[in-house]
Amino acid sequence: MPPVIELKNISKRFLNLQALDHVDFDLREGETHALVGENGAGKSTLMRILAGIYPEYEGDYFIRGQRIHLGSPRDALNRGIGMIHQELSVMPELSVAENLFLGRQITNRWGAVDWKKMNTVAQDELARLGFDDIDVQKPLGNYALGTQQVVEVLRVMLSGAQVLIMDEPTSALSPAEVERLIQLINTLPQTNRSVIYISHFLDEVMRVADRITVLRDGQKVRTLEKTETNVNQLISLILGHDVQSEPPLSASTSDGHTLLDIQNLTADVFSDISLKINQGEIVGIYGAIGAGHFDLARAIFGMYRFDSGTIRVDGQIFPHHFSASYAINHGLAYATESRRKSLFMDEAIYRNVTMPHLRRISTLFSRARQEFQVASPVVERVNVQPGDPLNPVGKLSGGNQQKVVIARWLAFPPKVFVMSEPTRGMDVGAKSEVLNILRDFRNQGYGVLVVSSEPETVLAVCDRVVVMSRGKIVSEMANKNLNKDVLMRLL
Amino acid sequence: MSTQTDNLDAPSSRLRSESQSSIWLRRFTSLAPLWTLLALGIFFSIASPTFSRPINLNNILAQISTLAIFGTGMTFVLLTGEIDLSIAAVAGLAGMIAAYLYANLEYAEPIPTLAALGVSTLLGLVGGFASTRFRIPTFMATLALSLIAGGLNTYVSKGRVISDLPEIASFLGSGRIGGSSGLRVIIIVAALSLLIGHLVLRYTRFGRYVYMTGASKSAARLVGVNTDRILLITLTISGFAAGLAGIVSMGRLGSAQPIAIPSYLIDTIGAVVLGGTALTGGRGGIPQTVMGLLIYGTLRNGLDNIPEIDIYLKDFITGVVLLAALVVNVVLSGRRARDKTS
Repeated sequence: MPPVIELKNISKRFLNLQALDHVDFDLREGETHALVGENGAGKSTLMRILAGIYPEYEGDYFIRGQRIHLGSPRDALNRGIGMIHQELSVMPELSVAENLFLGRQITNRWGAVDWKKMNTVAQDELARLGFDDIDVQKPLGNYALGTQQVVEVLRVMLSGAQVLIMDEPTSALSPAEVERLIQLINTLPQTNRSVIYISHFLDEVMRVADRITVLRDGQKVRTLEKTETNVNQLISLILGHDVQSEPPLSASTSDGHTLLDIQNLTADVFSDISLKINQGEIVGIYGAIGAGHFDLARAIFGMYRFDSGTIRVDGQIFPHHFSASYAINHGLAYATESRRKSLFMDEAIYRNVTMPHLRRISTLFSRARQEFQVASPVVERVNVQPGDPLNPVGKLSGGNQQKVVIARWLAFPPKVFVMSEPTRGMDVGAKSEVLNILRDFRNQGYGVLVVSSEPETVLAVCDRVVVMSRGKIVSEMANKNLNKDVLMRLL
Repeated sequence: MSTQTDNLDAPSSRLRSESQSSIWLRRFTSLAPLWTLLALGIFFSIASPTFSRPINLNNILAQISTLAIFGTGMTFVLLTGEIDLSIAAVAGLAGMIAAYLYANLEYAEPIPTLAALGVSTLLGLVGGFASTRFRIPTFMATLALSLIAGGLNTYVSKGRVISDLPEIASFLGSGRIGGSSGLRVIIIVAALSLLIGHLVLRYTRFGRYVYMTGASKSAARLVGVNTDRILLITLTISGFAAGLAGIVSMGRLGSAQPIAIPSYLIDTIGAVVLGGTALTGGRGGIPQTVMGLLIYGTLRNGLDNIPEIDIYLKDFITGVVLLAALVVNVVLSGRRARDKTS
């Protein structure tokens, strides 16, 4: 019997990036096949080709031995291939049953929705799979994220998908919710459905997958049976070198003055977070996307509500609710993972730099000349290219935009600079420039918190690394003998 | 110091390095409202024997003066990317309060006028509070406010027109400085209102925050701007401006009406947007609003001055020209947006 899906010699190029390079892949009926690899290894690209999102590629795509070409996600669904996105696409205001039958409501002969029948069918389907505790008439938003994820999977199944593609389905789930989802996935082979499972969590992959394909730099490294491999071997295949066995050093308490002190910070997406940043220290928080570390950074800056815990900056305790301007006035600076959301793209560079400091450099009236004098030296210091402070920020490259984001805070330096994804999407040169600016900043005795999902960034610049997984700190280490293997294993 | 000065002069040198055609295009684009105004002016001068007489041009200014006061407040609100639909009703209520206090309760000036301005400012504050504290979109909050103000007007007036007006309103609305052919006070009030609005928007820190809130709310929040407070203040300003416009308009028309003049709302938004202030916020300003007002005023007045045009067709033609002008503006600013990405 031919495999359900077979890909042969698939290649895909984006401008100057070879995202996939002659990759083979096959999926058997009733199996769960995991795709693993670093960020940028080509998992997402392969998955998007499988789901019809990228209709243009080189190579051959077979479904049950028949050569086909998918033009769109709808096309894929018509052939029984459904995708469950990383970000949930459920409608929280609609009932569970409505979500399950989204776009295909059961109707009676008058064309009106047959609520009774729809609710019964939905309840039966859920009960059959062991989820009889879910009330299909309640709004889906009333249920936890894990349940919503389960409903999303069921929705795609009910829409006729024989192959389910799951992209990091568990990254935002609590351990109990992960169990629930794995329980569901494990029942799928009984209905002859197959799963393509993409995840950063290797222990989870080892639990659900029958086979595992490792991708690295757009190429397929190997496909292994689960029974013939282990987490260590997967890590070394993903990274392309042998796993080093030296144990990482436990975090040394540096003796500097503590600038940022967080105790037991808890919110919906993270809990019990405690960490300190001392003078002259760069601390990294590493976690997979969905680990809650980006929201933690927002919470420290007063832009994400937390339930309990304390934040102290330079000894001063912050109130439970505070605004971003309170945080700025008390020595914090923050840059989000999205440059687009933190800059005024149509405005001149110098105006972007001085925005947080207008209170300091102007009276009631803002004065262009003063602003210019404040902005020019810092723009020069971070080496923005082209460096004319009158240029609109929107015309700069990503790396140079990021330099403006940083320069903004150098004019009147904060005590602690919290920065999410400082180097995402930049070329090598811009990356190292940005990291050097952060090092300079540290060397002047300030504190830096780098929040990232890219192990390279954290390893390159941080003195200490905190690893977060599913909203909790799972480890804290000095950045000595530390490498990607260790970080990946901790996720 | 000298290098700073050099750098401040850099835009001209930077422009020179761009291709001539793109400069030409950009200049042409950014001046689109001016071309519209010139075209309309020339057209009406030819089509109507009375249009270009000085007395008529003076008339146009007087006719758009009320709109200019409304428009000052509306410019603030639109720049933050929000909207205020209550201005016409608030203006009607303000006029009625002033007239009622003066004529029926016999309060001496300036109490009636101050009370009217106070109530309209307060209504703006209420709208701002509702939309920032409870996250009600300004569209809905100010729509509700419009009903509230209109309802209060009906209740206070009991449906009756009041023609005995407080002196301040009469002076602001129909007074003249320097004899019976002197400068109309209403034009001075409008000009002052626009000027103050311009100074605040262009030169104060608050003005910068207004623009930045509209340009990118998330970026403004990240640099510590309290975007809710900015929105609250702009709606309060708009409430005050509406109150002032209401008093002035009452003085000009000679009576307080129990029903607001609904066209004020559409005319104000039309004029401000026509000038080039974006409904999405962050772009535009008082100079644009002035252009928009002049275009609008020219169009309205010009149609009145062509005797051949059926008076019943006036609104229809105004609407068509407004739509055409908006399309031109949107198409041209769309071209500008594409330029940016290249």
